[in-house]
Amino acid sequence: MKVLVVDDEPIVLKSCRMVLAAEGFEVMTAGSVAEALAAIEVHAPGLLLVDVKMPMLDGMYLMRQVREKRPGTPIIVMSGYSTRETIREALELGAATFIAKPFTPDELADTVRSVLKSREKEEKGYEDEKGSGH
Amino acid sequence: MTSLALILRREGGGGFFVLYSTRSKLIAGFLGVSLLVAAVSLFIGVRILDQHVFGEARNRVRQDLNAVSEMYLTRVRHIKTSLSITTLGFAFISSLREKNAAELVLRLERMAKLADLDFAGIVLEDGGTLCRIGPNSFPAAGASLENPIARPVLDSRIPVSGTLVLDSDFLIAENPYLAERARIPFTVGDDPALRSGKEEKSGMVVAAAVPVFDGNLLIGVLYGGMLLNRSETLVDTVRGTVFQGETYKGRSVGTATIFLGDARISTNVMTADGQRALGTRVSPEVREHVLGKGKLWTDRAFVFSDWYITAYRPIEDISGQRVGMLYVGVLEDKYEDIRRETLSVYILITVAGMLLAVGLGYLVANRISAPIRRLINASQQVGEGSLTPELGPPEKGEIGVLQKTFREMVAAVGRQRATSEAHIIHSQKQASVGRLAAGVAHEINNPLTGVLTYTHMLLRRTDLAPEIRSDLQTIVEATDRVRKIVKGLLDFSRQTKLDPEPTDINRLVTSSIALVEYQALVKGVAIKFNPGESLPELIVDRSQIQSVLINIIINALDATDPGGAIRVFTAAGLSSRDVGRKGVEITVADTGCGIPSENLDKLFEPFFTTKAIGQGTGLGLAVSLGIVQRHGGRIRVQSEIGKGSRFFIWLPAGGKAEHESAGG
Ligand SMILES: Nc1ncnc2c1ncn2[C@@H]1O[C@H](COP(=O)(O)OP(=O)(O)O)[C@@H](O)[C@H]1O
Ligand SMILES: [Mg+2]
Repeated sequence: MKVLVVDDEPIVLKSCRMVLAAEGFEVMTAGSVAEALAAIEVHAPGLLLVDVKMPMLDGMYLMRQVREKRPGTPIIVMSGYSTRETIREALELGAATFIAKPFTPDELADTVRSVLKSREKEEKGYEDEKGSGH
Repeated sequence: MTSLALILRREGGGGFFVLYSTRSKLIAGFLGVSLLVAAVSLFIGVRILDQHVFGEARNRVRQDLNAVSEMYLTRVRHIKTSLSITTLGFAFISSLREKNAAELVLRLERMAKLADLDFAGIVLEDGGTLCRIGPNSFPAAGASLENPIARPVLDSRIPVSGTLVLDSDFLIAENPYLAERARIPFTVGDDPALRSGKEEKSGMVVAAAVPVFDGNLLIGVLYGGMLLNRSETLVDTVRGTVFQGETYKGRSVGTATIFLGDARISTNVMTADGQRALGTRVSPEVREHVLGKGKLWTDRAFVFSDWYITAYRPIEDISGQRVGMLYVGVLEDKYEDIRRETLSVYILITVAGMLLAVGLGYLVANRISAPIRRLINASQQVGEGSLTPELGPPEKGEIGVLQKTFREMVAAVGRQRATSEAHIIHSQKQASVGRLAAGVAHEINNPLTGVLTYTHMLLRRTDLAPEIRSDLQTIVEATDRVRKIVKGLLDFSRQTKLDPEPTDINRLVTSSIALVEYQALVKGVAIKFNPGESLPELIVDRSQIQSVLINIIINALDATDPGGAIRVFTAAGLSSRDVGRKGVEITVADTGCGIPSENLDKLFEPFFTTKAIGQGTGLGLAVSLGIVQRHGGRIRVQSEIGKGSRFFIWLPAGGKAEHESAGG
C-alpha cells in the first residue's frame, strides 16, 4: 500500500516515514502541494496524509484537487493548530479523519489503520453489493 | 468617557454665562417688583396724604371762615343791641325830647365806651345831626351832611344794621381822627380799574341805626358803629379764638383779613418787616371770583409772601352791594412740611426696601449659583479625569439632590471606567496570549512530533541498555508536559464560535462527572451529584461546557485530600445582574484546602497556578471563564481556608443574549 505524506516540515515527513514504514507501508513524501500533485500522478497512492497549513498552496487546495482527479482516495488531515472550523471544512472536503500534531507513533499508526480498515469495509460492502447485483 | 467629558465641559462653559444672567435676572426681578410696589404705594400714599392733609386743612379753613363770619355778624348785632337798649331809657328819650345835646353826648359817650363804638350820634327827624361823640359834638344846624346810616331808618322807621362804606367827607365831618385812621395808602398791585387814587380814604364800618320814638312820634335816630379800617380787634380776636394763637416757625398759622374792595384794611397778615400788610391787594383771580361773582373761594393762594390755604367770602353792605371780603387763611407751610416729612419717610422706606430687595436678590442668586458653579467646576474636574471632584459643603433642597445625584453619577462613571478598563486589559491580554499561543503551538507542534516519534521509536527497540531506556522515558514524560502546556495554550487561545444545542444540563453534568470519576476513586475522594428539578432547557456548546466542568471538578479534586468529598448540584436560578433572567446555576463544592483571599482575584488570570511545576498550567480557569462568558454566563467563587471552596457557574436560559457576543 502506498502512502503519500504531504507537509512543509521535513521533521514531520521524516517522522511519518519512519512510523509508517515500520508498519509496512510504502511511504512517499512531498514538501509542497505542487510536489504532491506530481507524485499522485506518478504513483497513485492509496492514502494521503496532509498537513492543513502550508505556505503557498495549502492542504485544502490539495484535497479539492484530489477529490476531482482521484476521488475515493482516503485522506487523513493533520494540523498543529486546529479549530473546529478547519476540522469541519476538512471533513466536508472529503477527509477521512483528523489527527492533531503532535502525535505518538502509536496514535498515528492506529489512525491510519482504522481509516484503511473502514475504507476496506466500505469497499467490500460495495463489492458485495456489486456481486449481489449480478 | 471622552465624549462625556466633552459634553460636561461644553455645558460647563455655557453654564457660567447662563448663571451670571440668571443672577442678574433674579436681581432685576426683585428690583422690578420692589420698584412697582414702591411706585404704587407712593402714588396711593401721596393721594391719601393730599386728601387727608389738604382736605383737612381746606375743611378747617372753611369752618374758620364760618366762625369769623359769625363773629362779624355778632359784632353787628352787638352794636344794634347796644343802640336799641340805649333808646329804651326814659331819661334818654326825655333828653332827646328836650334836645338836651350836652346831656345826650354824655350818654352817647358812655354807651360808645361800653359797646366799643368808634362813632355814635343822633340824627333828627329832618336829617340834621343833633349831636355826636368826638370833637365835632355839636354841629351847626343845617351844616350836616346826609347820614347814610340813619337815612333808611328815617324812611322806614325800623332799625337798620350792617356794613357800610363811608366816604372821607362824611368821616371828616363825623370825626377827623377817624378820617385819618381810615386813610390807608395802597402799597402794591394798584389797579385803577377798581379803585382810583393812591390811597384808600373811605372807611368801612359795621354800624346800626335805631329809631327813637316818643310814644308814637319819631323824634330821632340813634346811630353808631365801628370803623374797620386799621381796626385790630376783630382780626386779633379771630387769631386768639379761632386759631388759638397757634404759630409755626415764628409765624402765626391762622390769618384773617377784612378787605375793602380788594385792599386789606384790617388784617393780621404781616409783611416781612413785621408790619400789618395794610393797603395790599388781593390777586385778580380772587377779586374776580369773590367780588365780581359773589362766590366763595377756597383754595391755596399766595398771600403776600407765603402760600396759604385760604377761604374768601364777599361782604355786602346794607343795600346788598358787594363792598369787601372776609378772608381766613391757614399757613400751608405747616401742612406742606407734614406732607414733605411723611413723603420723605415714605421714600426712605421705599429706597431701603429696594436696597434690601437688591441685596436679597444678590444673596439668593449667590446662594443658588454658588453651589451650581461648584458643580460646574466639579464636572470640569470630572471631564479632566478626576473621580473625586470638589463639590463643596452639602446643600439642602434641590441643589442637595443635584449634588447627591452628581456624586452618584461620578461614582458610576468611576465604576464603569474601572470595569471597562479591567475588561479591556483582560481581553487584550487574552488576545495577545491567544496570538502568541497559536504561533507557538504551530511552531512547536511540528518538532514535537519529531521528538515524540523518535523517542517512541527508540523505545521500541529491544537492545537498549536499561539506563538509556529510563532516559528515553524521561524524554517522553517531559515532552508530554510540553504537549500539555501547548494544548492548554491552544484551548485558551481558541476563540472558536460556539456550537450551541438545546441541552439537558443534568445529563451533561452526569457525563462530565463520569469522565473524572475514575481519577477521584483512585485518590479516595467521593463525588456526589444532586441534580436539580425542573431546570429550564439551556442552549449551550456541550463539549465546551463539559470541558469547563471537568476543569473545575479536577481543580476541586486537586485541592481535596483523600477522604474528602466533592458535591455538584444544579438549581434553577435568576441572574443577580440581569434582572429577571432565568438560568441554571451549577455549583461545585469541595472540602479542600480553600483559596487565600488575595488569590481570589487572580484565579482566572492565564498562567496563574499554585501547583507544582508540571502539575498545573494555570490556564484551566482562564479558559473556563472565557467559555462561560461567551455563553453569557458568570463564574463566582466562595472559599474558606481549610474548609473548602465553591464554584458557581451561572448559565442563562435561552442562549446567550445578543449584546454579550462581543466577548466571543
Ligand atoms: N477548588 C479549588 N480549591 C483550591 N484552589 C483552587 C481550586 N480551584 C482552583 N484553585 C486554584 O486556582 C489555581 C488556578 O487554577 P487553574 O486555572 O485551573 O490552573 P491549574 O489548575 O493549572 O493550576 C490553581 O492553581 C489553584 O491554586
Ligand atoms: Mg486546573
